[in-house]
Amino acid sequence: MYKTETMEEPIPPEIFISLDADYDEDGRYGRQTLEVTAAEVRVRENNDVVSFRIPLQEIKAARNEPLIGGGRLEITTTSNELLPVVTYSLQVAGMFSEAARGIEQLAKGETLSINLKKERTHCQKCNRLLPEKNGICPNCINRTKTLWRVANYLSPYKWRAVALALLAILTTIVNLAPPRIQGMLIDHVLTPHRNLSMLWLLMAFWLGALAINIGLQVLSGTLTAYLGAHLSADLRTDIFRAIEWLQISYFDKKPIGAITSRVTQDTDLVWQFLTQCVPFLLSNTLLLIGIALLIFSINVPLALCILAPIPVIAILSGFSWKRIDVLSHRLSQKWARFHTNLNETLSGIKVVKAFAQEDFEHNRFLKSNHELRDSGVKIDTYWLKIFGVMSFFIGLGSLINWTIGGYMVYVKQISLGDFWQIQAYLGLLYGPIQWFATVNNWFSRAMAGAERVFEVIDSEPELYGETQETAVEINGDVTLENVRFGYDKSNPVLENINITARPGEMIGLVGKSGAGKSTTISLLCRFHEPDAGVIKIDGMDYRDIPLQELRRQVGLVLQEPFLFNGTIAENISYGKPDAAFEDIIAAAKDANAHQFILDKPDGYDTLVGERGAQLSGGERQRISIARAILHNPRILILDEATSAVDVETEKQMQEAIGRLIKGRTTFAIAHRLATLRHATRLIVLDKGQIVETGTHAELMDRQGIFYNLVKTQSEINEIIEAENFIFQS
Amino acid sequence: MNVTELYLFYYPPTHLRLTIPNEKSYITVKPTWSAPLSQPGRYLALLDGNGEEIVLLTDPKVLSPASLKAVQAELRRNYLTAIILRINNVREEFGVTYWDVETDRGQRQFITQNLQENAQRLNDDHLLLLDVDNCRFEIPSIAALDDYSQKIVLRLV
Repeated sequence: MYKTETMEEPIPPEIFISLDADYDEDGRYGRQTLEVTAAEVRVRENNDVVSFRIPLQEIKAARNEPLIGGGRLEITTTSNELLPVVTYSLQVAGMFSEAARGIEQLAKGETLSINLKKERTHCQKCNRLLPEKNGICPNCINRTKTLWRVANYLSPYKWRAVALALLAILTTIVNLAPPRIQGMLIDHVLTPHRNLSMLWLLMAFWLGALAINIGLQVLSGTLTAYLGAHLSADLRTDIFRAIEWLQISYFDKKPIGAITSRVTQDTDLVWQFLTQCVPFLLSNTLLLIGIALLIFSINVPLALCILAPIPVIAILSGFSWKRIDVLSHRLSQKWARFHTNLNETLSGIKVVKAFAQEDFEHNRFLKSNHELRDSGVKIDTYWLKIFGVMSFFIGLGSLINWTIGGYMVYVKQISLGDFWQIQAYLGLLYGPIQWFATVNNWFSRAMAGAERVFEVIDSEPELYGETQETAVEINGDVTLENVRFGYDKSNPVLENINITARPGEMIGLVGKSGAGKSTTISLLCRFHEPDAGVIKIDGMDYRDIPLQELRRQVGLVLQEPFLFNGTIAENISYGKPDAAFEDIIAAAKDANAHQFILDKPDGYDTLVGERGAQLSGGERQRISIARAILHNPRILILDEATSAVDVETEKQMQEAIGRLIKGRTTFAIAHRLATLRHATRLIVLDKGQIVETGTHAELMDRQGIFYNLVKTQSEINEIIEAENFIFQS
Repeated sequence: MNVTELYLFYYPPTHLRLTIPNEKSYITVKPTWSAPLSQPGRYLALLDGNGEEIVLLTDPKVLSPASLKAVQAELRRNYLTAIILRINNVREEFGVTYWDVETDRGQRQFITQNLQENAQRLNDDHLLLLDVDNCRFEIPSIAALDDYSQKIVLRLV
């Protein structure tokens, strides 16, 4: 009789829908529970009192009324009274929108068919609010996991990494030799004033150690540079690849600058960590262990005294890392904001200049630049304060050695040579300890960067489906059945869309701005998927066709064509890189582009500039059409393809488009309604619903919405022509 | 139109209406701020049931007290932005900020992610936070907060 999907907690059988709204009836945060049974809709307050109830048979319609920061469920009764039911925040608005549909279904006596997925809003481990519903809890991701993930990028280069580790061990051994040699020299040659030959021997060993050290450092440096550069290049490749596969909705939510920052700035942090921090971490850890062992082997009580400040340094480091981590994340975000602002200004530089707003933009740049600067100062200042304190404790070691060690030499508990060895090892020890203090800073910044990188890599990609060995060929029968869609799930922009198109047909989509035309196109390209209903191609749900196969057979010509920074030929063959040059020329001829291309000094080798800036609007558009022709799609989508050009160019383009659409299933949006005169069928959209369907002639006879649109446009054109006539005369 | 004579009232209790004396009545009225962030408290548009503007009030305080009260109630119903009165606790971890605040609508916990990208500084003293669901939390005056809350905000943003 009814079905609901994936309800997480068992609901008493008589209640079909039970949802908690997070506002009370006074608009304060609280709780009201919406319950829908077979007989009625009711609202239960926190104290279990039912404050609202209405029988289903009195309900005509139910909807989510979008509010600022939330929504309200409203019911229209059979006597056309509008009743507010519950208010809720955006956190749950999607579910209430679905519940509204369910109420309508039940009120009409239909089978209840809604999708009330209960989303996980709290971490199951630590119960913190999740940044993303059903997502990962950042508290429960541990840093070690991120580090391992970065370290996994070493897998292709594991032998080089092993070689680097071995070199680090050898370097440590070699570095530990000189103080030992010095101690022996003092105790066995200089103090007793004998064994001069031993002096030459020990110096020869020392020279050998120096030479080997240099060799090891060169080798080690080369390997480190190789590994660091390759690893961060691999990371950049992975993040770029992940970005390419991301859903379009990701790009709607994040500025391009913030995404760019992850590819450049954040991977750079990881690179710096790997090339500057990890090698020193490795060798200095070994050095620290070696020095500690050697000092202990000379004199245990003295060693304990000298190394006593180290736990203090470790504790300080432990306290400071969390704050540094916070500051590192903040710095990364400031970089992202900086990139966003810079990107925006440079992209719109023509507008900046046209409106003489250079000073305004300069001030805006200064603001984000200064915020970035201040954030950098903050983290560096904090770090240097901590480092200063750490340096004090590091310096104490030497003082302790001179005090206690000096006394021990005086009372002959240890030899002068041993004292000297310890002092020399302390000198080597300060380096690693200082670096360990610095590692915290580097590590925090690098992990902040790595986490932002992995946030992108872990984002949900588009569903590409299984790749097929043989190409999927489609005929181009397109059907939209009861399609519903909203960018905000609680607020559909398309509802009850039913369209059928056969190969060779041209379907014109018309309507006022915001009617849903471009959204329909977006669904056809599968940039988004319907929230309800289905889009079929050749009778098959288009989600069952591998995404890349589908897109290979859908051609898109946009109002503002995007050309890449390459030659004209490269842009025409973008969708078919292996196309023969003759085919490129044929496509250009069909697009009425061949002539203007030949007028260029370099012809088809002409560089178009970033976004095609070296070409006029009409030229860019015709190259875009040539690109679509060469692509040879079965389904063609023209999104206001001729609206941005003059009438003469439009005539040429109409000819080109006429050739392009032959035998293909075409969906076209055009504001100049006359250009759709020869469409097989026109679909008139209004507020996300189809209101009229028919040929141009049929809709004109009907004198409905389409007729009014055409009439209005004709009147405007007459006014414009009259003004032009006056102006010219 | 003499805006001081506009009569806004509820009938039934959940439905705001407008009568312009000696002219006409609108059975559905929706008050909408033209620029709620940059011009708070000013430029209030009254829209009819079709979303078309009936009148734009530069300063809504010119309305009669009863009408103003009705409009304010409707604005509170339609604008679910919460005004932060006090910050109880804030924790930043791994680029995510967990907030526990007292607002004019009660206590609330919410999360902002990448705070530097999602906090809108409307001027030096006025801040708008968008949580991960795009719910809005406003601090009209950072200086008006208690010392502890001020310190937190200035440290974070």
